[in-house]
Amino acid sequence: MRYIGWTILITFWVCLAAFLHYTLPQRDIVRIVSTYEERQELNDWTRIFWSRPDEQSDAQITRDVQFITGVRANGKPTVYRNEDTGWSWPPYFKFDTANLYTEANDAISTKDAPEWYVIKHYGWRNEFVSSFPNAISIWRVDGPDAFKGIYWTNIIVLTTLAALFIAIRVRWRRFRHARIDPKLEEIQDSWEAAGDAVDEKRGRFRRWLATWKAK
Amino acid sequence: MALVRLLFIAFVVLSVIYLSLSLYSRARARDRLEAEYDAGDFDIPRDAYVRAGLVEYDSSLRRKLILGVYIVPMSLVCLIIYLVNFA
Repeated sequence: MRYIGWTILITFWVCLAAFLHYTLPQRDIVRIVSTYEERQELNDWTRIFWSRPDEQSDAQITRDVQFITGVRANGKPTVYRNEDTGWSWPPYFKFDTANLYTEANDAISTKDAPEWYVIKHYGWRNEFVSSFPNAISIWRVDGPDAFKGIYWTNIIVLTTLAALFIAIRVRWRRFRHARIDPKLEEIQDSWEAAGDAVDEKRGRFRRWLATWKAK
Repeated sequence: MALVRLLFIAFVVLSVIYLSLSLYSRARARDRLEAEYDAGDFDIPRDAYVRAGLVEYDSSLRRKLILGVYIVPMSLVCLIIYLVNFA
């Protein structure tokens, strides 16, 4: 029983952490290498890693998606998709995909004369299911080690969530102490009382049996 | 259509919150009035005192502030749209 409880609890927290890690914005500093458009098949479960910016894209199986590619200071490649989130989840309300595409094209630089850009994005890069993080905005910084700015969104969202969880937890504990624990004790008491009564009866029966034994 | 869906879901969820909050707040106001009456010395009957107090509550600022349940998320959405697309 204890293992089941722990399993449920751990699963819940891992799922929540993964969900937040996918949804909340992150920032990379990259040198933007190129931008391209590619037709994507969206007809299997990996559909969840792509946006649904408009209603037509529900009916269609393939769609052109814009990409922005970059290289980090350590030489590792990063690829971002560039899609509207529109009015659906996650709530970035991004509508300026074409503008961002223009900015990214304008920001392309070579290895010899690198220009460094912060790319704010959300989502995961996974090679096996071909998922790409979605770029939200870009801005220029001095170098690959520059300050990326304060993560206001993450601070506000995580603080609010923590406050919410603590509030619910405190109220639940109070409720349990006031309502559930006394009931459980009542049940236990009556159970024990019943047990005592049974023992008592059995003892009497034994004593009565004993009277038939040869002395 | 996505906008319509978002507005519909937001309206339903926020309305549930709004209703619960306003019922809770009104019950609190009633409790407060009853406690006030029991503590003090009044000429009028308890019922009338509480009813008059609740009429006053209905036109109070506190009750109107609960409308923030609708206004705050909508402002937040507008702010995010501005920051993401135009800032």
